[in-house]
Amino acid sequence: MSTETGRESRRSGVLVDAMRWMENLSDTQYAYLLLVPVFILLGVVALYPLLRTFELSLYASSLDLAGRSFVGIDNYVQLFTGGKNRFLPGGTTFIPSSLSLTALLNSALVVTIIFAVVSVAFETVIGLGQALILDQDFTGRKWVRAAIIIPWAVPIVIQGMIFFLMFNSNVGFATPPLADLGLLAPTNTLNDTASATFIIIVADIWKTSAFMALLILAGLQSIDRGLYDVAKVAGASKWQQFRLITFPLILPTIGVAVLFRSVQAMRVYGIIDTVSSCSVVPSLSCMVVATFNTREGTAAAIAFVTAAIIGAAVMGLILWQGEDAI
Amino acid sequence: MATTTDHNSSEGPLARWTQSAIQNPEKVYRALFYVAMAFFLVTTLFPFYWLLVLAVTPSGNLLAGSFLPEINLFGVSTTFPLPVPKGFNPQAFITVFEQVPFHLYMLNSFALAVTTTVIVIVVASLAGYVFGRLRFPGRAFLMLGILAVSYFPPAAFVIPLFQAFAGNAPITLPFTEIPLFTPPRLLNTPGSMVLPFSALFMPLSIFILTTFYGQIPDGLEDAARVEGTTRLGALFRVIMPLSAPGVATAAVLTFIAVYNEYFFSSIMATSTEAARWSPIVGGILSYQTQYTTQFNLMAAASIVGVLPVVILVIVAQERIVSGLTSGALKE
Repeated sequence: MSTETGRESRRSGVLVDAMRWMENLSDTQYAYLLLVPVFILLGVVALYPLLRTFELSLYASSLDLAGRSFVGIDNYVQLFTGGKNRFLPGGTTFIPSSLSLTALLNSALVVTIIFAVVSVAFETVIGLGQALILDQDFTGRKWVRAAIIIPWAVPIVIQGMIFFLMFNSNVGFATPPLADLGLLAPTNTLNDTASATFIIIVADIWKTSAFMALLILAGLQSIDRGLYDVAKVAGASKWQQFRLITFPLILPTIGVAVLFRSVQAMRVYGIIDTVSSCSVVPSLSCMVVATFNTREGTAAAIAFVTAAIIGAAVMGLILWQGEDAI
Repeated sequence: MATTTDHNSSEGPLARWTQSAIQNPEKVYRALFYVAMAFFLVTTLFPFYWLLVLAVTPSGNLLAGSFLPEINLFGVSTTFPLPVPKGFNPQAFITVFEQVPFHLYMLNSFALAVTTTVIVIVVASLAGYVFGRLRFPGRAFLMLGILAVSYFPPAAFVIPLFQAFAGNAPITLPFTEIPLFTPPRLLNTPGSMVLPFSALFMPLSIFILTTFYGQIPDGLEDAARVEGTTRLGALFRVIMPLSAPGVATAAVLTFIAVYNEYFFSSIMATSTEAARWSPIVGGILSYQTQYTTQFNLMAAASIVGVLPVVILVIVAQERIVSGLTSGALKE
């Protein structure tokens, strides 16, 4: 007890009072008190900007706040009817002008969805393969795992630089063989929309498959090993074991991982900016960045549509997974 | 082991291997396993090899000829399938620091990453304690709200944040004209990047720390409180040290996330000057824009820039794996 009073007396009276006040709070009061820093940070950097973005999207584009005029949902209407296309860089449209591949890839909305769907599909398959490898016991497993994780940890700008250098028209060695196969345009590859989209998808698969692999690996390792012993005794082959035990049990994990990754993939920006340019591969985030300095109303509307699509996907996840998603 | 070596040799051993494989399917799986592992290792590590090839090629040789040399294989002329350096000159690894102060960009990135990590760990510890150890009304709703924030795209935050950090006009309450205050000009300062980074990467740390703090037995906290520790003291002197692996996990993941971030790093630092707090994003991009033909420098800078995270992954891979699997699956 003597040390206790000694320590207390060294503190100033205000601090002691504050401590005593804190000790006497109920659990609920104490919980909300500790959450104040989180509320302030998320309020300033997330909630305020989100509301503000929505507000900006309802006004005509003008950086002079005094003279701005309320236009309601006109920005959204024009975005979906093509009235805003002239503000977007390059020949970009928001909604595709026709159903040809060129028109689809020139549409900010469609190219973002294509990117997300294709890259996540390949990442899931490759990630599953990597996870099945890492689930085995073998010497050097730790090093193989490190090697597979490393691309995930590579900064986006360096990931972009790698693929820029691989397909660049001056030093890129990878363009000629792939152009021979008809996959890429032989010249001006990184400024060709279809080729650049292909390269960016490959770059994303290279970097993020490892992330998928780790999530799926967690699912694999939670499977009861006894099930495999039973299967072996029953004479099931390795393929049957995978099809009848492993796959059904990791399917929920894969579902969560796919939705989580799709949400991330919808934000794609940095890799496009480094490898190619936003006027060649017009993702939604790209369009926000390209227009927000001059056409903030348009930019805000695009940003909010992006958020809404992602929000819908997340609601789907929560409804589907229920309480487990949290 | 014999399975892999026998795989691509002459007819005799292959036939024998096939015979034994038919009798023992286990061998086929083993072979498939090693082939798949080799494939994944090659595809993940090859891009780094390519950077190395470019970096050591002297600048004079960069544009001459192909990186895929013609070789003579048993009298047949064919293209070697792997790029090889055209000459050897490691000078580029020194030139990168001379042409652009790349070490300063890396220092900026480190400073931003460490500051963000400290803020995130302190604030997320408070939240992790609350969500992991206290039962109170609104808990599930608040966790859902924090989760939702982490799902929103950075593009949905960037316009108002950029305007606010420019410091030209007072912040008004959304949907009104009521001015609140005029923020200081934060563009090109650490503040304009640390603030969005902290909000963006905090949810993952909150979920990781909630899991770890929730596992500490109540008895230990009670014992500390009986000893006379305050509530906050119990968190920082008992629960946090006992959850050291969890704290390390959250710290490593936050550090890597900030070091790798592109969106706010490229927008909030409006110039690519190291003196104006541009991180490695600006450093690497300035090679791309200013020195358009010095591909060996771009490659060398990329190798230098990637080394810190590669070392971090090798040293802390257990933490990364557990953090991504425990935290991200929840997220």
